[in-house]
Amino acid sequence: MVSPSQKPPVCNNMAAPGRHVGHYIQRNSRFLIHNFEQLWGHRSFGWTPALRQQVAEANEESTGTIVIPRKKTWSKEAVLEALASTVSRDPTAYSYQFQDDPYLSPRTSSEFKLYSLSQESGRSAAKFFVNSNSKFFTKDFAEPHIPCLMPETVSLLLEEQSEEALKERINLRKVTAAVDMYDQLLQAGTAVSMETTHELLDLICLYCDRDPVQEGEPQPEDMEESGEEVKKRKGRFRRASDFLRFTWRENNNAERIFNLLPERDTRCYSALIRGMVKHGAYAKAFSMYTDMLNNRMTADVHIFNALMSAAPDVRDKYNERWDLIAELLNQMSQQKVQPNLLTFNSVLKALRRCGSLAKTQALHTLNEMKAVGIAPSLASFDHILAVFSKAGGFVSSPASSGQGNTDILQEVMSELAGTSFTCQDPNDVLFFSSAMRICLDNKDLELGYKVHSLVEQGENWRLLGDPYQQSIYYGRFFNLLCMMEHIDVVLKWYRRLIPSLYYPNPQGLRDLLQALDTDSRLDLLPTIWKDIRTLGHDNKSDLVEELLTLMARDRHGPEVQEAFAVCALDVKSVFDGDRGRHSLEWSTSALSHITSLLLRANKSQQAWEMLQLFKTKNRVPEEGLLEDFLSMYHSAGSSQRAVELVQLSASFCLSATPRLAKRTLAEFNLTEEQRAVLSELESTEEPSD
Amino acid sequence: MYRLLFRTVYTARNSSVSVYESCVLPAKCNKATAPVSRVANGGGIKALSTSSVRFCEKKNDDTPSNQDQKTNADKEADPTETPTLVTQKAEDASNVINMVEQREEEPVLLKTDDGSTTQQQVDVKIEQVVATPQQGKTDAAKSGKESLLDLLGAMKVEVTNKRKLKNLKVKPSYESTPKSKPAAMESTISMFQKATVEASSQSETLDPELVAAASAAASTLPDRSQAESELLRQLRQHEGVTEAQKKGDMNNLGVIIADMKVGKNPNRQNARPANQIRFDEDGRGYTHDRGITAELDSVRRRKNLFSGKRLNVFSPTTDEDGVESAVARPTLWDMDYANQLSLSTNQTPRNGLEEMIQWTKEGKMWQYPINNEAGLEEETSVPFHEHILLGKHLEEGFPRQGPVRHFMELVVAGMSRNPYLTVQQKQDHISWFRDYFHQKEEVLKEADVYLN
Repeated sequence: MVSPSQKPPVCNNMAAPGRHVGHYIQRNSRFLIHNFEQLWGHRSFGWTPALRQQVAEANEESTGTIVIPRKKTWSKEAVLEALASTVSRDPTAYSYQFQDDPYLSPRTSSEFKLYSLSQESGRSAAKFFVNSNSKFFTKDFAEPHIPCLMPETVSLLLEEQSEEALKERINLRKVTAAVDMYDQLLQAGTAVSMETTHELLDLICLYCDRDPVQEGEPQPEDMEESGEEVKKRKGRFRRASDFLRFTWRENNNAERIFNLLPERDTRCYSALIRGMVKHGAYAKAFSMYTDMLNNRMTADVHIFNALMSAAPDVRDKYNERWDLIAELLNQMSQQKVQPNLLTFNSVLKALRRCGSLAKTQALHTLNEMKAVGIAPSLASFDHILAVFSKAGGFVSSPASSGQGNTDILQEVMSELAGTSFTCQDPNDVLFFSSAMRICLDNKDLELGYKVHSLVEQGENWRLLGDPYQQSIYYGRFFNLLCMMEHIDVVLKWYRRLIPSLYYPNPQGLRDLLQALDTDSRLDLLPTIWKDIRTLGHDNKSDLVEELLTLMARDRHGPEVQEAFAVCALDVKSVFDGDRGRHSLEWSTSALSHITSLLLRANKSQQAWEMLQLFKTKNRVPEEGLLEDFLSMYHSAGSSQRAVELVQLSASFCLSATPRLAKRTLAEFNLTEEQRAVLSELESTEEPSD
Repeated sequence: MYRLLFRTVYTARNSSVSVYESCVLPAKCNKATAPVSRVANGGGIKALSTSSVRFCEKKNDDTPSNQDQKTNADKEADPTETPTLVTQKAEDASNVINMVEQREEEPVLLKTDDGSTTQQQVDVKIEQVVATPQQGKTDAAKSGKESLLDLLGAMKVEVTNKRKLKNLKVKPSYESTPKSKPAAMESTISMFQKATVEASSQSETLDPELVAAASAAASTLPDRSQAESELLRQLRQHEGVTEAQKKGDMNNLGVIIADMKVGKNPNRQNARPANQIRFDEDGRGYTHDRGITAELDSVRRRKNLFSGKRLNVFSPTTDEDGVESAVARPTLWDMDYANQLSLSTNQTPRNGLEEMIQWTKEGKMWQYPINNEAGLEEETSVPFHEHILLGKHLEEGFPRQGPVRHFMELVVAGMSRNPYLTVQQKQDHISWFRDYFHQKEEVLKEADVYLN
């Protein structure tokens, strides 16, 4: 490294003085340093390429042949997905679906619901119109042909008795028509193929021998269509109850056709058992299963999944329930049926209703999943969380159970951190809100942040579920923040979440007000009031009262008081204005809070008007308030007003009137006339007391 | 003399430290040379080194000096490594200081009898440093006296480190020349060694930088080895205390309490009474163990969700069954399930691009091209040579030569470059000509251009 060629001449020259050597050494060392620096630089910058080269060389040496890389196939959305990944959420904007019409920007949760549902129902109405009047929509404009823009056939075309006609009815999900056709075919002596029979049984069992509620708009559900989707989402809860109403009837068409079948295979049993479990005939499902076993048939995984979820309903005791599940699982392995995710999820779901047994068994089930090589979905973890939060309550004190609860959530979160999910189980969407509930119950902010970062991972936000679930989740998260976090951070989240993701309810806003109070940032109240108005919560009397109380409680600097007074006038206008909906009722405290706020900002005229309001609304002002008035008039030197005030007080029949009159007499410069009035008030009121 | 020259070359290639090392050695070897070397010191390094080597040459036989140089060569690594960490200016100074340090070392070794104090050394050092500019070391002068003083401390760290090595390595060479070594000096050296060994053993748990700093600080005190060891001991104690305080949580307290219990009841230290207060591992507080909760506690305390027992019902199998079921046609139930899944998740698009993705999936929108074959769906199965090599279609139905053949070759050449026609269209085009020329065969024959 050190160039030796430089040295010898120097050192050979013995006559050179020593300092020269020192000098040279110095120079050399400098040179050395430079060398080293360069080397180091090379090291650090050149490291990776060098490594790669090495690897490449190694590859070439080892294989010696050229390996052509496999062709990478891209999906047709690849470009769009790449572009979409560059767009992040704008917390100041409304949701994308409302962006084409600013007039329809929803400001409250009810508006959000109304607009989104009307948007979707408009779409499905158009779809319905096109489908039911397909003869008017025959022109195909699109080149190449776009099938989903063309009307679908929704009416029956085949009228004759044939298996084709039966298939058509099945595909269009006309349950009763299909059953009729099947009966006609049987009577005519035509044999129906096994496959069609399976489909028919599936159809009848799925819809419980009823035509599905489709508002005259039947369409195959595999054609995913957003309009239909949201409309169904709206009616989801109603629909669930619909299914409960359609209880499995004894000897319905499914059972009748099943009994008429010359030979029954597993698939037939599967349809029947699944239908029975789906529609609440649990005991019947189990007897059907025994029947099947007696006929020496093996069940399929769907049968077991259905029976597993029905197990808690056919047994009363916790240990009996678990024994039944364990027996089913053993039968599964005996019949060489491989479990799937849904199997274990239904086991875990059933364990939620198994009391104290559940804790250990849930963990064993989870380990079984791992052993079999099935990755648990969010629903599995949701069930486990539920098991641990419930079972703990029975055994020990709530505090310690909460502890165990966060522990298990802690572990689940460390297991899940950084993964992004797709929906595999309809119950997946319940995980986040229940996890956040645990965080909220235990006031564990850190864990809450962990849960939220998981939500923000990848496409996980889609698993927050429908808008209702989503608002529950964000409500809990925001509540936790208000409770535990510093107000600046709370406001940061407030601006990020509201209103683009979350429309807080009055309780959420009250939490925010309390957080402001705790960290004494009451000066922000006017801005929060504006948000309250925008969110449409200005008609919630307790929220408004709370806001006014907080504003009126302490005295602040003049600017803050000025802002408060403006805000108070705004609140007053809300009370006054009648906007066609339930308006607020003036309460004494609201009136006096607004009045005192106005007084503090020296808005005497408006305050005086407020005082008149007391009278019109039949409310009685407090004495302290009148005292405040008097002091203000004293400092302003308006004696006339003071006299009027005392007169007003007298008209309210306040006991404090004589005292006020006395004070006015003592402190103000009054005319004779005023004096007379006041002294009269002072004297007359006293005996009446 | 050649040898001498060679040797000087050798020494000059080493850093000043090693240069000086050779200077010290003669001083040790022969007390009589000390004044000379001191004089040489005053004179300048060059003279010094030459004189030292000469002394080596003269007074001793070849072996010690050779060995000495070997050690020098060994230590060549030292000065070359350290400079990278120091700035350029500090490097300038370090050279000077290294020299100074050597000089300072000399008195120590020479004045072992009177046990010279370090304070004196420092004085000497400064004097010498001040003296050096006067002696014409102009490049050293640019770092002033102040900065030199500051740097001295820092440099000494290096030097002491080096010295440790040096002492260990040089010693054999000393022993090889026992006759020239005074007893007093030997004791000093051994003391040094002891100190460094002690320091190194003590410094096992300490940060090497700390150790170096401690030894640097110690070297400014009268009894440096003792001071150093004391400093290091103190440091270690501190570290121990901080370590203990860092861990000072409930856990630690639990250990203490456990110790107390051991003192009380030594024969039962392993068996834990069932009702004893136990501290949580995570230090959140203590929990009372009660019989019934013990099992649940153990569940709760499980560090990993997946570390426990399993049901032992299923055995992990190959994927054959799963594949089989996946192949089957989706039933109505599957469709219903898929629909449920899509209903339960939030499918609304967040931006225009996501909406376009949705449209693409629904087939409403033209796909964005993902390669340069977009829109060639019907031609994807056709290999390219079908497009390019159209000559085979001229094999039959056309004359072998002549104007018609020539014309058709031109047609084929043109079509082979046309990307806008499908293969079928190209073939149709050729067959149209085939028919046409067949129809006109008579005419062409008459004109004598249809040659077959």
